[in-house]
Amino acid sequence: MFIHVGWEWVIISDETNQVNHIYREKTDKRILKKNPWKDYRLHATVLLLVVVAELIGPIKIPLSESVEVSIMPLLYAMVLGLIFYLAKPIFWIGRKQARIAEGAMMLFIGVLIAKLAVSSGQSIHLIFEMGPALLLQELGHLATLLIALPVAILLGFKREAIGMTNSIGREPEVGIVVDKYGFNSPESRGVFALFIIGTIIGTVFISFLASLSTSLLPLHPYAFAMASGVGSASMNAAALGPTLAAFPALETNIEAFAGFSNLLSFSFSLYIVIFIALPLTEKLYYILEPKLGRNHKKGSDSTDDDMASNGGN
Amino acid sequence: MVELIDEPVDVSTHGVFNWILLLTIFSVITVIGNFIGYGHPLADSFIGMGILALITLIGVWLERKLPLDISSIIYISVIGIFIAFPGVPTSETVLYYVSKVELLSIVTVFLAYVGIGMGKSWDEFKALGWRAIIVTMLVIASTYFGSAIVAHIVLVMTGVPA
Repeated sequence: MFIHVGWEWVIISDETNQVNHIYREKTDKRILKKNPWKDYRLHATVLLLVVVAELIGPIKIPLSESVEVSIMPLLYAMVLGLIFYLAKPIFWIGRKQARIAEGAMMLFIGVLIAKLAVSSGQSIHLIFEMGPALLLQELGHLATLLIALPVAILLGFKREAIGMTNSIGREPEVGIVVDKYGFNSPESRGVFALFIIGTIIGTVFISFLASLSTSLLPLHPYAFAMASGVGSASMNAAALGPTLAAFPALETNIEAFAGFSNLLSFSFSLYIVIFIALPLTEKLYYILEPKLGRNHKKGSDSTDDDMASNGGN
Repeated sequence: MVELIDEPVDVSTHGVFNWILLLTIFSVITVIGNFIGYGHPLADSFIGMGILALITLIGVWLERKLPLDISSIIYISVIGIFIAFPGVPTSETVLYYVSKVELLSIVTVFLAYVGIGMGKSWDEFKALGWRAIIVTMLVIASTYFGSAIVAHIVLVMTGVPA
């Protein structure tokens, strides 16, 4: 199944030689073939999840006097969706529904982007004023290779670490890594692992981070807004929830910056990954690995004996 | 999987019809959630969702019809920014109706679909092990904080008031 995920990628990138088409092809397949609107059980279930989530409303958990973690309805909706898929008694949500949901979701990203775009249009003068911050914060993404790469090496990852730590590993970055190293390379295995784990825990985790840091760190509200755009559209949304809750007066501006930052993450930051992050991760890996890496193989993550020694392309 | 290779991607009217129905379902669910969670009037927020769904539809349609290699995300963003641009005739109407739809209402519905869709990856997730999970969390945290801290420094240096 792990292979399966990657296989789709590699087929698509071989066929069209373009990273951007992954969404399009997948969406079209699902949407054209299956008449997805007919699956009333899926949509009725989603309606149920949304109603339940909205009825519960946001829950605020005080960790101390000044620190507060807020859990937004969007998180319950997602976690309940996952539970509904996994729970045996709920037989009407199965693999087929999950595939349709996945295809439909890629169309629905558009609505999310449209809403963020309208907010951006409304605040366009601010976005021009904040241009330097918006562009330069993309360079902040490089922090991941400085912090996560050494830890990955210490934990015993070999060249997988290059795929895992060059970026936040959303769809475009997976495409870049597969394109550069080939589907069966350790780097690609690393980025697939990052992608899958990020899909499952990323949304919850970044929401938690945003919630914690908006109450703990004395940073500019707009800085949190821009940072919430670092990952996928769903991560952006999940990070935005607590940020909006923390600065209710700045709602439209925060939506605008988050949306624009997310747009940059999907466009401009691709070039940062291709030209800066990935080569830098590789360099750093070959400097750090001999010092920090484990000499003997450990675990199943490193399968090829030669891969640590003969790199350096 | 193999089906990905040999079937041509052709967007017929049939495809557009499917998109419209899906977007309608999505809009209805969002409007209901938006009403329960935030109490916005049903009719106004439905028009708001209609505007957003229409932008989406045009975006995905352009992506497939125009011979350019541009993602629908870019088309949708450009259209959305343009029709809300201060001074453009559509701006006030669009802002009025779209502001009746909370971003978080859209996101809640979107993530409900994501939750069901991600169920498929659950088995792989369990097989990956704790070391990969630690690295992933570090990657997300350092990207988030890296971005926030750089943005903060630039915002303070350029003198942007909070």
